[in-house]
Amino acid sequence: MTGRRETASLVGPGFSPGGPRDPGPAPVACAHCGLAVPASLLREGEKAQFCCAGCRQVYTLVREWGFDQYYRLVDQQQGVLEPARVTGRSFEDFDDDRLQAEATETIGTDRRRTRLYLEGVHCAACVWLVEKLPAAIPGVDEVRLNLGNAVAEVTWRPAHTRLSSIARALDRLGYTPHVHRASRVQEARRAEDRTALARLGVAAACAMNLMFLHGALYAGEYSGMASPYWAFFRWLSFAVAVPVLFFSARPFFQTALAGLRARIVHIDLPVAIALGGAFAASAWNTVRGSGPLWFDSLAMLVAALLGARQVQRSAQRAALERADSLRGVAFLEFARRLTGDGLDAPAVEVPLTALSPGDRVEVRSGELVPVDGIVLCGHSSLDNAVLTGEAAALPVKAGDAVNAGATNLGARLVVRVEAAGEKTRVGALLAIVQEALSRKPALLGRTDLMARRFVQGLLVLAAVTAVVWLPRGPEVALERVVALLVVACPCALGLSVPLAVSVTLMRAARSGIFIKNPDALERLRTVDTAVLDKTGTLTEGRARVARWQGEDIVLQFARALEAQSSHPVARAFRDSSGRPIWVVRTVEDVIEVPGQGIAGRLDGHDVRVGNRAHVEAEGATVPDDLARFAARSVEEGLSPVFVALDGRVAGVAGIGDVLRPDARGTVAALRAQGVRVRVLSGDHPDVVARVGAQLGLPEADVLGGLTPEGKRDIVAGLVAGGGRAGAVVMVGDGVNDAAALALADVGIAVHGGMGATIVAADVVLTREGVSPLLDILDGARGLRGVVHRNLGFSLVYNVVASALVLAGLVGPLLAAVLMPVSSLTVILSSALTRTFARPVGRSAAGHTGLEPRAAADRASGHTAAAVREAACDFRGTPGGRA
Amino acid sequence: MISGARQGEGPDVETIFVLLPLALLIAAIAVGFFIWAARTGQFDDLDTPAVRILFDDEEVPPLETAADSTRRVPE
Repeated sequence: MTGRRETASLVGPGFSPGGPRDPGPAPVACAHCGLAVPASLLREGEKAQFCCAGCRQVYTLVREWGFDQYYRLVDQQQGVLEPARVTGRSFEDFDDDRLQAEATETIGTDRRRTRLYLEGVHCAACVWLVEKLPAAIPGVDEVRLNLGNAVAEVTWRPAHTRLSSIARALDRLGYTPHVHRASRVQEARRAEDRTALARLGVAAACAMNLMFLHGALYAGEYSGMASPYWAFFRWLSFAVAVPVLFFSARPFFQTALAGLRARIVHIDLPVAIALGGAFAASAWNTVRGSGPLWFDSLAMLVAALLGARQVQRSAQRAALERADSLRGVAFLEFARRLTGDGLDAPAVEVPLTALSPGDRVEVRSGELVPVDGIVLCGHSSLDNAVLTGEAAALPVKAGDAVNAGATNLGARLVVRVEAAGEKTRVGALLAIVQEALSRKPALLGRTDLMARRFVQGLLVLAAVTAVVWLPRGPEVALERVVALLVVACPCALGLSVPLAVSVTLMRAARSGIFIKNPDALERLRTVDTAVLDKTGTLTEGRARVARWQGEDIVLQFARALEAQSSHPVARAFRDSSGRPIWVVRTVEDVIEVPGQGIAGRLDGHDVRVGNRAHVEAEGATVPDDLARFAARSVEEGLSPVFVALDGRVAGVAGIGDVLRPDARGTVAALRAQGVRVRVLSGDHPDVVARVGAQLGLPEADVLGGLTPEGKRDIVAGLVAGGGRAGAVVMVGDGVNDAAALALADVGIAVHGGMGATIVAADVVLTREGVSPLLDILDGARGLRGVVHRNLGFSLVYNVVASALVLAGLVGPLLAAVLMPVSSLTVILSSALTRTFARPVGRSAAGHTGLEPRAAADRASGHTAAAVREAACDFRGTPGGRA
Repeated sequence: MISGARQGEGPDVETIFVLLPLALLIAAIAVGFFIWAARTGQFDDLDTPAVRILFDDEEVPPLETAADSTRRVPE
């Protein structure tokens, strides 16, 4: 940080306010991330220059370990590096015995394996760098990084190294590690995934072989076949079909049976009946040595259905993986416990489970408060937005109570622990989320309803067939019934929905909408009420320079000066991106006046930023136009901050948490579609009412001052309430929304949401703003069209084919040909789905993993980097890369 | 089709009683390997191995520091 003040001697064009704007010399790229290095950070005589302290640390370490190839790989992979983030934590808590017992497994006698979720993994080069760790740290045997969910599996020897050393190394490489505990649900799902794949493999292999065997049998029917061969082929195909029915097709029988027990006719029931009937009849025909066999048809049916489900599974996994890796990471992980008696005693990082009431913990600037407790010493302000929805920072001093989950925006605090872990307020909220999730009912979809009618019709038809053909003898009747079951088997029906859904899921994911729960699409067909959170959803969730009156250059000065402070107003200046014009080279004589503002000398100019009294303190007066602008800002709910340059008040910034640019349009579009829009917020009722007025919502639909429990109860009331025309959709971002998200028919977590919301929501947005909401509704409607088309076709096919069988016109051979044709049609129809096609182009930024704002920052490298340098001692800024 | 096979009485065709089960046995072994691979989680991560193969094993001499500044600056 001292470098900034030593660079006055660097050559460069000077600046005079109002003078010609000089973009300065060509920017120098940061040796680590490639962003432009701000002029104030250039170090004379050094070849490698850096945009922030994090990048310098990472670059130095990568070179020290001789891993230079990393940068070549990044270029080769066309990866985009972000400025590195190094927390500088000690990770001592990773060595805690209890934590290790929970999160590591012992391999052999002297090795352990631990799963770590890494923040900041972005491309193939990361895989290379992280997996190179054994070369740098003795005692690390192997590291395997999964690029999909950013979870690294580390095998290490406790005799030679500690987990904290490994974690520190990863942190210093720019990958903040978190201990990843796989839940039982996840383990179960992984086992299920593996078995499903094995089932599909067996079904496909057997189906192919059965096709060959039956090909021989069909040929034999026409050209004649000696009976020993004939019997041999029949018995062989019987043997090959057994694993298909008893291993691969098991899920169909299981769900059909489970459905019957719950008195629900599941879509798998007709499949199970057809499979069971066809197999039984074929087996009987094999044993008695006459009559047709359907082993090939049933194996193909199983393989096709399992294949379709596998496609759907992998489409869903893309959305689930991100949520999964976050689910394994605790929201709050560690605390810095003071070890000595004094309030300045050194702190040791311990896991939260090691804390007991009465312990004293330190909360540094930018960190999350880990416990519920009482402040013992320190002055600071806390950001409670994720807990309560309040946008404004709350000042705290000794004696105040603080809650776990709040972000410390200001100086170091020492807190006496009252409650930790599940006993905290946020712990209780998360427990509510878990409970609500476990109670969310599975959806009985339209397809299931159709299947129910279809299967009833099918059973009636089978009975009719049996009666019609019985006069020709029981054998003929049985043959006809089985032919009917095979030909009318809802293969296309079973394929149509999963295929259309998975195509939609993949398209949605490509446009930045991750649909975790496909049921959401069905529920979204009609929407009655959309409940929106305010802070962080409709608004950006943090104070920004929303309005600016004055020259751009003056704003740049104000930003450079505020970069020296950790006051909430300073954060507002830092977080606002804009077009940079010029970068300040020297900052001297900075004085912060509590409650008033900040003053300093920037490149020889006196700059004062603060309230009216502060800028007028040196004899300057606020011109009328700026005073009017300030008054207008206050009416809009913004706080005016004045900027004086060389004794002249030259600008006013209106600071506040403003509506996202797309909020108004989205709300209007929703209302035009007949959706009732309600705003529920934990923020002050006046603030919420003003937002409601800006959105043009009736006062009754805008509620402020709600607790998380209050939100949950209102949403639960809406869901349970009668007379509604469709689903209740909840859109939110904070922990305080999580319970409501889990309870709503469809919960949508907006971009930047906390881990808890991502777990609770059915849909997770990775695109900024609320407008994706409209795309989801469009997509759900488009999907409905495709599903109807597919269902309609497969029903027509089944009805026609059944009629032909009933008339005795279709034999087993023709049925076997007809079935794949009908399935193929459905596959084509699904592949041509155009759902979510529209937003793909629009979300080019989301596609590359860059948020629009980050992209803007990149374009305006100078300010962005200057802002980041200031943010470097501001680790753990909320909304980081979660 | 040869006429002997047409009646299914040619002596050559009898080998099918051995060959066909043998072929199926080999197929069964392959399927067994597939099940083993699936069960041990070798298909769990389909993305990372695809990029891992791209890394060269050879050691590359360290970069010249001066070259670093030539890394692109996004516009």
